[in-house]
Amino acid sequence: MGSILLVAEVQKGRIRESSYELVTLARKLADTSGRDVASLVMGKGVGDLAKELSGKGGGSVSVVDHDLLENYTVDAYCAAARAAIDAVSPDLVLFSHTPIGWDIAPRLAAGLDVGFLSDCFNIEVEDGNLVFFRRVFNGKLDARLTSSSACVVATVQPGATPAFDGSAEGSVKALDVTLSADALRSKFVEIRTAAKTGVDLSKADVIVSGGRGVGAPEKFTEVIEPLADALGGAMGASRPVVDAGWLPHERQVGSSGQTVSPKLYIACGISGAIQHLVGMKSSNFIIAINKDADAPIFEVANLGVVADLFEVVPALTEAIKTAKG
Amino acid sequence: MKIMVCLKQVPHQDARLDVRPDGAWIQEENVKFEINAYDTYALEEALRIKDAGEADVFVVSIGPDRVTQALRTALGMGADRAVHVKDPAADASDALGTAKILAAVAKAESPDVVLMGLMADDDNFAAVGPMLAELLGASHATAVMKVEGTDALTVEREIEGGALEVAELQKPCVLAVQTGMNQVRYASLKGIMAAKKKPIDVKTVEDLGLSGQVGAESVKVKVEKIYVPPKGDKADMVTGSTDEIVATLVTKIKELGVL
Repeated sequence: MGSILLVAEVQKGRIRESSYELVTLARKLADTSGRDVASLVMGKGVGDLAKELSGKGGGSVSVVDHDLLENYTVDAYCAAARAAIDAVSPDLVLFSHTPIGWDIAPRLAAGLDVGFLSDCFNIEVEDGNLVFFRRVFNGKLDARLTSSSACVVATVQPGATPAFDGSAEGSVKALDVTLSADALRSKFVEIRTAAKTGVDLSKADVIVSGGRGVGAPEKFTEVIEPLADALGGAMGASRPVVDAGWLPHERQVGSSGQTVSPKLYIACGISGAIQHLVGMKSSNFIIAINKDADAPIFEVANLGVVADLFEVVPALTEAIKTAKG
Repeated sequence: MKIMVCLKQVPHQDARLDVRPDGAWIQEENVKFEINAYDTYALEEALRIKDAGEADVFVVSIGPDRVTQALRTALGMGADRAVHVKDPAADASDALGTAKILAAVAKAESPDVVLMGLMADDDNFAAVGPMLAELLGASHATAVMKVEGTDALTVEREIEGGALEVAELQKPCVLAVQTGMNQVRYASLKGIMAAKKKPIDVKTVEDLGLSGQVGAESVKVKVEKIYVPPKGDKADMVTGSTDEIVATLVTKIKELGVL
């Protein structure tokens, strides 16, 4: 059998947690199919990180160390990954589905003219064949896919697999890649961190969030905010609400907004796209109110109400005010 | 500047989704379709570039007759012309097949910039933009929130935790945009009337020189089946009248000690 190449990601001087999740997945697939595990670490001054990965399940680790890999650019990272793919000849290449992974993995697959699967929450070996599982229609349905190509490139949803925390003997080999600044079609300028805003949802004990189901910006003031106020909590929102300009970005809960874990999270009219769920699913207690009984939000909620939020939420607000006396 | 905007028509966000008998995709009969939300932001961005200067904005979509509606909407919003790849031999392509079709259209048109959504709301693949860039030998950026400049483009892409990565891209380039990058306009009545005179150029797979290279027979990735996710620890569902529901919720909220 061939080998599995996992492309690790270095962030803030460390190997990302999601890369160790790829190790868990790669080792599982290797064990059930007799493949070898190989890894790639790329960056500037990442020799020690490659060594760390080789001792923690990364198998045969290739390391590409280059000044031009200090900051992310599509062309430099693609060139380094392509060199590792050519050197290892894997039949499966794994990336995490992160802003770097989803950016270069499909591009590499197109360059290799091979199959590509994105954002898989699981990969299995069945009768010797790789089977890929991923969500479609924003989490409303799951899909099972296979690929006919000799090599497959896939990205894996962060958090879908536990990170590998054992140790295993591996090796490190430097891989020379010729990169020239002139040949890069894009240039890194800077990372701009999120501006500090007045709303820190992570400190709130109670968050009442509204989604697309709230329907209009004024309904947040009329329906959602009064419940948040009655509970002494903060008002949050899902991405579509912020995209539509109904509430500012500082209210957004989810992977591209704030990650919260209050004592109580009440989701009103939020269907529960994965990017919202990752931002709130670790809340201590979750109540979801939605008119669609099949909404994915009910999969993470503790209590669910299938009803018109415009009936339940104002009545709940009044009842909370009464209960507080 | 010549700008190509790729649009996909997908089931309406609130459409009821039923799995078709062979299990491999949804039933499309009686489903209302709309332009993929991500792609509407791409079109809006192209129209803003056009509003700010000179640009030829053309939209491209792949699919059956129903796609004409999406193209007419885009023309009504202000796109100058449309290309409709209408051919059963193009349908059911995988991401790479789709990228090959769009690359063939792009090679005939040589746009300076290709704009599209980061992903489609149906298959959620987020692959076609970078694939198209590779096939065209162009630069690319994904999850784009801002585009500036005319020669080299300065783009801001959304990374994690609300941070932005700023990069400078040479043209030609492919930009796969994130939702929320702008506020999307509606087609005006005047725009809709004007759109009736705008051309829709219909192409087949053969016209594009891709016979036998795309479509269901050429996929490298096959959807075997789609299904309703298995229910996990689903929420305890509260039922009854509004008063009963509220009483249950208040009891629970009191127990949590947050009052």
